[in-house]
Amino acid sequence: MPTVIRIPTPLRKLTSDVETVELDGSTVGELIDNLEERFPGVKARLCDENGNLRRFINIYVNGEDVRFLDNLATAVKDGAEVSIIPAIAGG
Amino acid sequence: MANIEKYSRQILFAGVGREGQERLLNSRVTVIGCGALGAMQIETLARAGVGHLRVVDRDFVEESNLQRQIMFEEQDVADKLPKAIAVEQRVRRINSDIDIEAIVADVNYTNVEEIIEPSDLVIDGTDNFETRFLLNDACVKHSKPWIYGAAVGAYGLTITIRPYMTPCLRCIFETMPPPGTSPTCDTAGVILPIISMIASIQATEAIKILTGQFEKLHGSIVHIDVWENLYNKMKLGKAIDRVDCATCKRRNFEYLNARTGQLATSLCGRNSVQITHTDRVRIDLGELAERLRQSGEVTLTKFLLKFKVGDYELTVFPDARSIIKGTDDIPLARGLYAKYVGV
Repeated sequence: MPTVIRIPTPLRKLTSDVETVELDGSTVGELIDNLEERFPGVKARLCDENGNLRRFINIYVNGEDVRFLDNLATAVKDGAEVSIIPAIAGG
Repeated sequence: MANIEKYSRQILFAGVGREGQERLLNSRVTVIGCGALGAMQIETLARAGVGHLRVVDRDFVEESNLQRQIMFEEQDVADKLPKAIAVEQRVRRINSDIDIEAIVADVNYTNVEEIIEPSDLVIDGTDNFETRFLLNDACVKHSKPWIYGAAVGAYGLTITIRPYMTPCLRCIFETMPPPGTSPTCDTAGVILPIISMIASIQATEAIKILTGQFEKLHGSIVHIDVWENLYNKMKLGKAIDRVDCATCKRRNFEYLNARTGQLATSLCGRNSVQITHTDRVRIDLGELAERLRQSGEVTLTKFLLKFKVGDYELTVFPDARSIIKGTDDIPLARGLYAKYVGV
């Protein structure tokens, strides 16, 4: 079953202003790869050149920070809620 | 002597009560940044009777602020008032019982510790990462609670930080995004409702802290998209035990010691300021050009980007260095850089 991911406002320029996407993948890393396939360029914003999650982006699976799970190898089961929270600047 | 009956409706609220009100009247709060978030926080805390407010800002009131910066009026634009001064005048009209001190200054590593020193609490009303990471260093170093808040578009975040008791900003966001990659209110816009929501949550957290009710704090990253109807909290949980944080674990205050971040120099006789970065960063000039086209005239070459806005011209290089022509005022130049390139 695909996972629904909500794209946070600061990243929507890279996803043609799409707000939510349904993606297949059994880990966070696979979801990101599939997101990249749909919207080329978005992965570079989430991951660095070595493929690790950038340190100003937080990804949560069911409310748990993936840094404290298995990072990009964190399993995403059916019905999981995946949130991307980037630091933002305005105010 | 303050007339405490002025606050009768707030005293009736069980969460505050008479004792809480007295604590508020004896509290000292510093608000860094008097823009959209800052103005809303100050308005709320001044009315709530926080006894001593210190407000700091480097900017002047402009017409495009009025749509969301609730403390300012058309006359302040006509008078070209510094925001901190306009705030001071308005607070005196709202509540003459409290002390308000306005500081017109660029908050940087040379003055931040002195600015926050007398406060029980610091609230983030800034518009850039640079100042927030600096504030985080200073507040952790001096064990002062501070409340991060940020908003762009209809989206906003807030986190309440109590040094050594909760994760700090760098436990959560270990580095800032490189300059030029994040939307700002001046490139992507912003609406007042998200400002009101984020600033109101920050002000509520402030009242809880000042009245000693730490168990009522939300303990989360609150993130809201009021346009998409997203109201969410991510529990901060145990991040404090799990991150080898440069700031709150290793007490390596890189921003405060100016070993990382931004440096600004006035270029003598050229009516220009140069901004450089100590971090090795790269900017995608093509992407920046696309974002800036809505705000002014952009010229893009293989080597640089030029952006004209009002009387100023910003030249940005791929290593994030920038020369801001049309001023030798460093705070003003840093403000323009934060607004349009985004840090």
